[in-house]
Amino acid sequence: MDRSPHADTAHPTLYLHRWRAWLPERAGEEMPAWVMTDEKPAANSVPALLRRRLTPLGRAVCTLLGDMGAHERAGTPVLHASRHGDGHRPLDMLDTLFEGEPLSPARFGLSVHNAVLGVYSIAFDNHASMAALAAAGEEFEALLSEARGYLCDGCDSVMLVLTDSPVPARYRIPDQAPQRPSAMLMELSRANAPDALCLEANPVDMPETSTPIVTPPRLTDWLMGRCELITRAPPLCWQVTSES
Amino acid sequence: MANTELTELERDVANMIIEALELEDITADDIEPDAPLFGDGLGLDSIDALELGLALQKRYGIRLDSDAEENREHFASLRQLSALVAERRSD
Repeated sequence: MDRSPHADTAHPTLYLHRWRAWLPERAGEEMPAWVMTDEKPAANSVPALLRRRLTPLGRAVCTLLGDMGAHERAGTPVLHASRHGDGHRPLDMLDTLFEGEPLSPARFGLSVHNAVLGVYSIAFDNHASMAALAAAGEEFEALLSEARGYLCDGCDSVMLVLTDSPVPARYRIPDQAPQRPSAMLMELSRANAPDALCLEANPVDMPETSTPIVTPPRLTDWLMGRCELITRAPPLCWQVTSES
Repeated sequence: MANTELTELERDVANMIIEALELEDITADDIEPDAPLFGDGLGLDSIDALELGLALQKRYGIRLDSDAEENREHFASLRQLSALVAERRSD
């Protein structure tokens, strides 16, 4: 695959306008105001009849998308990537089928990968382009690729949603599936703005297999200056080169 | 505030609705027995109708034909649904 001739591919630069996170595993720690740690977000911005069907992860994503005003900027695509989706919900249905019991229609309807964005779209009457991705551990990289496609196509900004969720123990691969659910939202563009952070990437020489999976807690730690961020395919080291 | 209009069966059916549909911040006493369950009343939707069909089967042993015309009447209100349960329960 040709990865070198296009400077933007080898050294991509993006601008981060805002970010929000939901990290219940960090409850009690000192975190920025825009990091939620509630076990079950109230999600008051979502009508009760829609909210009742959401897991805490779904409630968090809808709350944070609402906070970021994604619905107020027509034409801003919303892209959601998650390795395990809503975790227990689809896999628990396999147990129900095994036991010969009928499936809950509501839970079945919300077991698809784009269910959370679907509920968000209805709740906030947001008809922008939306997509749900899974990429076997390279979800953040997939989000960046998709986002840059939309930006190259002329979109002013793109809303990224990265989430993950625990799965039942028997499906869990040690060191890969998380113990707690989490979410990270970022609004990215190719245009600078007074409050934006400039994110620059440079190629780095390291085996892709030794690169940690980019998760919402890791992204948060990186933006708080606590760790480095390396994405795969190809390996790129990302730096925050300006601050508001 | 207790809704004294509910019979014991209506209260039981109301609790089934709340539990099966995961209704938040609603108790049996908040459901008006003659108010519509769908649309303008409690605001339930078509997926809730399927979920209620499943709950009736599990709790009272009542199997409804999903195409039956009279389902609309059975699901019209808590009182109507309770009448169906009283007539056809096999639990």
